[in-house]
Amino acid sequence: MSEHKPHRIKDIFVDGPIDPAFIATSIAKHATRTDIGAHEIFLGQVRADAVERANGEANAGATPGQARSDNAQVTAIEYTAYRDMALERMTAIREEAFTKWPSMTCLHVHHSLGTIKAGELCFMVFASAPHRVAAREAVAWVVDRIKAELPIFGREVLSDSTHLWKTNS
Amino acid sequence: MEVLLFGMIAEKAGVDRMKVHAASTHALRQLLAEKIQGLEALSYSIAVDRTIVHNDVPLQGHEEIAVLPPFAGG
Repeated sequence: MSEHKPHRIKDIFVDGPIDPAFIATSIAKHATRTDIGAHEIFLGQVRADAVERANGEANAGATPGQARSDNAQVTAIEYTAYRDMALERMTAIREEAFTKWPSMTCLHVHHSLGTIKAGELCFMVFASAPHRVAAREAVAWVVDRIKAELPIFGREVLSDSTHLWKTNS
Repeated sequence: MEVLLFGMIAEKAGVDRMKVHAASTHALRQLLAEKIQGLEALSYSIAVDRTIVHNDVPLQGHEEIAVLPPFAGG
């Protein structure tokens, strides 16, 4: 079950939220790989951020005539992506990760598309290695690279029926 | 050439693809600013054949061009 196949583009996108049961199954599948001694998993969850609207941001996400609350919060994120570019970037990031952490046994990445409600999981990076340091470092690095480089877009649906566009800082 | 639009830029334009003729990425930016109201106020990148270009790059017309607002993955 070698997951490291250079130049092969793997699809990372899933429609809808990531099911916790899928994660459990994914962990269980590694039981046969007895050279693994450490799993590291990052899970991204949609947060019900309160939206602070500064003065002058009066029309953010509101269509004319639409009521806007001053204390709206995020109820869901609708994810879209430039799929072909995202998968190409991901393939390059994956290959770089295996070069940086050659002991890493496998790396699994999943990102949601579509509407993900607050409290649901939208992102998973799962690395396994013989020892914990490689797995831990690789996951942190891969998460940061994905957030910075994959063309994924998030429309935040707010509790007052307006919306904003999420931007990674 | 056909330009792919994403996220808030597709929303502003009201379409997710647009036919334009531009000889360079710089010319493309000027053209898009005329066609999409409010685009100049937004920060966005242009990808040519799925790679973001920072400088002015000549375009032949057969490239895959995409206009990308800030990323929000994760």
